[in-house]
Amino acid sequence: MKKNIAVLMGGRSLEREISIKSGQRVSNALRKLGHNVIKLDIDESIVDNLNTEKIDLAYIALHGKDGEDGTIQEILEVLNIPYTGPGVYPNVLSFDKIISKEIFTSHNIPTPPFYFLNTSSFRELGASKILPYIVKKIGMPLVVKPSAQGSALGIKLVDKENDLPHSIIFALGYSKKVILEKYINGIELAVSIIGKKKPRTLPVVEIAPKNKFFDFESRSKTGEVDYFVPARISSSADKKVKEVALAVHNSLKCTKLSRVDIILDKKEEVPYVLELNTSPGMTDTSLLPMAAEEAGMSFEDLVKEIINMSLSD
Amino acid sequence: MFSSEIRDLLALSARPDIISFAGGLPEVRAQNFQKLEKYVKRTLKSDGDINIQYGCSDGYYPFKTKLIDVMRLEGIETVEEDIITTTGGQQALDLLAKIFINPGDTVITESPAYTGALNSFKSYEAKIIDIPVDENGIDISILEKKLKELEKKKIQIKFIYLVPNFSNPSGVTLSFDRRKKVLELAKKHRIIILEDNPYGMLRYEGKPIPTIKELDIRGDNLNVIYLSTLSKLLAPGFRIGWIVAPHPILEKISLGVQSTILCVSTFTQRIAYEYFSDPSWVDNIKRFKGIYSKRRDIMLKTLKGNLSSIASWSKPKGGFFIWLRFPDYLSTKDILADAVRNKVAYVPGSGFYPDEKGLNEARLAFCTENTERIEKGIKILSKIVKEKIKLYKSFK
Repeated sequence: MKKNIAVLMGGRSLEREISIKSGQRVSNALRKLGHNVIKLDIDESIVDNLNTEKIDLAYIALHGKDGEDGTIQEILEVLNIPYTGPGVYPNVLSFDKIISKEIFTSHNIPTPPFYFLNTSSFRELGASKILPYIVKKIGMPLVVKPSAQGSALGIKLVDKENDLPHSIIFALGYSKKVILEKYINGIELAVSIIGKKKPRTLPVVEIAPKNKFFDFESRSKTGEVDYFVPARISSSADKKVKEVALAVHNSLKCTKLSRVDIILDKKEEVPYVLELNTSPGMTDTSLLPMAAEEAGMSFEDLVKEIINMSLSD
Repeated sequence: MFSSEIRDLLALSARPDIISFAGGLPEVRAQNFQKLEKYVKRTLKSDGDINIQYGCSDGYYPFKTKLIDVMRLEGIETVEEDIITTTGGQQALDLLAKIFINPGDTVITESPAYTGALNSFKSYEAKIIDIPVDENGIDISILEKKLKELEKKKIQIKFIYLVPNFSNPSGVTLSFDRRKKVLELAKKHRIIILEDNPYGMLRYEGKPIPTIKELDIRGDNLNVIYLSTLSKLLAPGFRIGWIVAPHPILEKISLGVQSTILCVSTFTQRIAYEYFSDPSWVDNIKRFKGIYSKRRDIMLKTLKGNLSSIASWSKPKGGFFIWLRFPDYLSTKDILADAVRNKVAYVPGSGFYPDEKGLNEARLAFCTENTERIEKGIKILSKIVKEKIKLYKSFK
């Protein structure tokens, strides 16, 4: 049946451009599926806009701040508008990588060892002096990343201790807290999970960047990365990775949709969980649509399943 | 070229809640829209069918007569046959790059230089040698030394690209003595100068300095190709630029126009013809200058009040841009995300160098925002910079 679907996109986040790409692609698919699409850029008039239009469902195509931190979900809850993706709580938990990593650890889910520091600890407590200790404990290279930011924005792989200050300052431009995480030299994998009552994993996507590291540059450009779906890993590793991804999804009380980013060590023994995304990208180079395609779902099929789950909320 | 990360951050500067010192957007709202409407109506009413038809690849002749009047105000005496119109100044640059540059050819630019020019030259695989500028423009002694060195190596320079008036991005103006010297060097080494002059009429203080083209016209008039645009004199939406060049070069440019766009829009050229036929366009320039000079003054004043002990900057006598330089350790790329999160945008300096120099530099456009927002934006930026400096110092 034809529905009025508001596609929420753009917004104030630093991932605005990717969100617009996701939103436009989703809007096209929704139109093909016969729905009436209302594209809404998120700004100070969002509540008025949501109230003015008769909306059956809000499709959240936002990434980062406001879209993946529980803000927009809370607004939609108050307005009684059904929406796609997980609810407020999993968004709040997953957006802060420090909290989500602590939850993984408490559920015995492997995640790379890490320490976090905030801006004031450097400015007021001389935290830079602690860096050699962190290096000693975790070892080099290190991944330096903001605690609350998606799409690999603000992330740097640091090989030399001398490069840590610049990378930390760079990351702190995106978030008040910075994570220094052990670099796991392994196979980068993304596991998408879909389904409300019985969440299921889609085929695992392997990400093989042409450079050493899957950064924002390679994520956003076609041709910078080779993708393999299904991932070139043993069937036992594939099973293990999917089990861990589901455990992550459940540990953060996710529903309907998520994507879990994992690094599998070279021996294919330990799947280290990096993070969970509650609003996975839906662009031409995004991982969720890639996995869905391998599972025999067209982009429209994927969008259809995402909205049907949410319309029945 | 910037990374995707920086490009995406800069794309956010288009949002109205962001105080943008990033793009050099002319204050088109100050145009007289009633008059513009009249020019459009007149364009449609008189010879309307011709004005929406294909036109001549060299440009709409009556409009070129008006360009002659415009250039005369800058001291350049030329004739219609020496002019070709283009779709904006950027196409002029692209056409010239296409004609002159074969892969591996060497060109010289200012350092820092206009990103659009660098990108255009790079797209034709030019090797770019950039010569630093100081407060009087391109450093002549370094240029002279470099030219000698290249001549010894038998490397032919295809051209020297300069924005002598209130350059983008540095804001500096090439002094009269240096203009004469650059021309002398170009003649001596048989090198063409591309003189790009988008901002020449937007001088807010001091006396105008003759263009290099004017100096060349006084001589054999064979050494300078002059290019400019209506983007700052009228509005960028018209997409009209032009080139004044010796005939053999113009013929090639004309072929380039034919093979890419056939002709520049007759419609917009005709409206522009009406605009420049009305003597009030000179008053519009005065009005623009009044607006921009106030914005420049408030930006300079706020910079002085907030960043004096930390940064240095150019003090342009015209144009759109101020060039900001921080201590070496402060990367303007590293603080851009923080700035954008706090609703201020600027362009990191490295994009204005062919080899990613200028990590501690930034371009600030003062033309786009009103004085209140400029003051507010510079204060926000200053606060972020000061916090970042504290952070940097905490690592020492």
